[in-house]
Amino acid sequence: MKRIKILLMAKKAGIVTEPYPYKPVEPPEGFRGKPYIDPDKCVGCGSCASVCPPNAIQVVDLIDKGYRRIELFIGRCIFCGRCSEICPEDAIELTKEFELASKSQNDMYQVVLLKMVKCKICGRYFTTQRNIEKLLKELPKDLWDTILVCPECKEKSTAYTGSYAKR
Amino acid sequence: MLKGDVEMIFKRSIWVFHLNTGGCNACDIEILDILTPFHDVERFGIKLVPTPRHADVILLTGPITRETLPKVVEAVNAVPNPKVIIAIGSCACGGGIWYDTYATLGGVNTLLEMLKKEYNIDVNTIYVPGCPPRPEAIIYGVLLALDKVKQRLKRVEYKEA
Repeated sequence: MKRIKILLMAKKAGIVTEPYPYKPVEPPEGFRGKPYIDPDKCVGCGSCASVCPPNAIQVVDLIDKGYRRIELFIGRCIFCGRCSEICPEDAIELTKEFELASKSQNDMYQVVLLKMVKCKICGRYFTTQRNIEKLLKELPKDLWDTILVCPECKEKSTAYTGSYAKR
Repeated sequence: MLKGDVEMIFKRSIWVFHLNTGGCNACDIEILDILTPFHDVERFGIKLVPTPRHADVILLTGPITRETLPKVVEAVNAVPNPKVIIAIGSCACGGGIWYDTYATLGGVNTLLEMLKKEYNIDVNTIYVPGCPPRPEAIIYGVLLALDKVKQRLKRVEYKEA
């Protein structure tokens, strides 16, 4: 009699187990999954790297090759979403992807290489081409000659003449 | 390297040993979650055992602090060959926020190097990133170890022309 009671109770509750590996699961609204850098939108400003708490995004200038390297290591990412909050170009988004298990750490990287431009005065690579294109859109035309000068050279020239723009 | 052996042991049920190495307990709660009837991993034969001597797989969480290191080495040594570690959570995979502090090893990779160098032990590893990973992500990781599912994550590289 007791067993029949338990069976009836079990039938009332039904099956609660998720059929996960056989059927895909849709994560809820606002779920923060794997971050993805859109390489067509990214300008390489590096603000995501400066806010990332575990330094999962690292920005390195490959000065001898003339490329800026933006490297996202998902193995260290804590999925806080600060990079997508701060990104001025909305290039980083947190997708809903959560099946991130992998057999080697090499698979957990996303690398974006962006071209850099040289300083007009000292000839050193200092910023990305896309950053310059963005500045050309935003700055007025009388400041355009200062765009292609690296911060160090700007400092030097302002030390002698007061202001680079006035010279 | 150890692939044949792994397939051999994984034909039968996998018994897992849950090893926290100084994590915040979020990943541990997710591991307990997959053992509940809602996710019910015992239908795949995955069973939690109380000692590493009975286990096939170690579910390792946490960034491996210096305090827990001797105990972790002892536990990994006690697992019969072939040894498999499933590193769960960002701390175990790459160190998380503590990847460069003095008090942790910064993830399972340093531990693997150390085990290879000091004890000459080979360990197969599967990484399950997430902070904490969803219970489904952990199930996916264990099934990846069994070669029942395909790996979805790939290295993505982009170079501006």
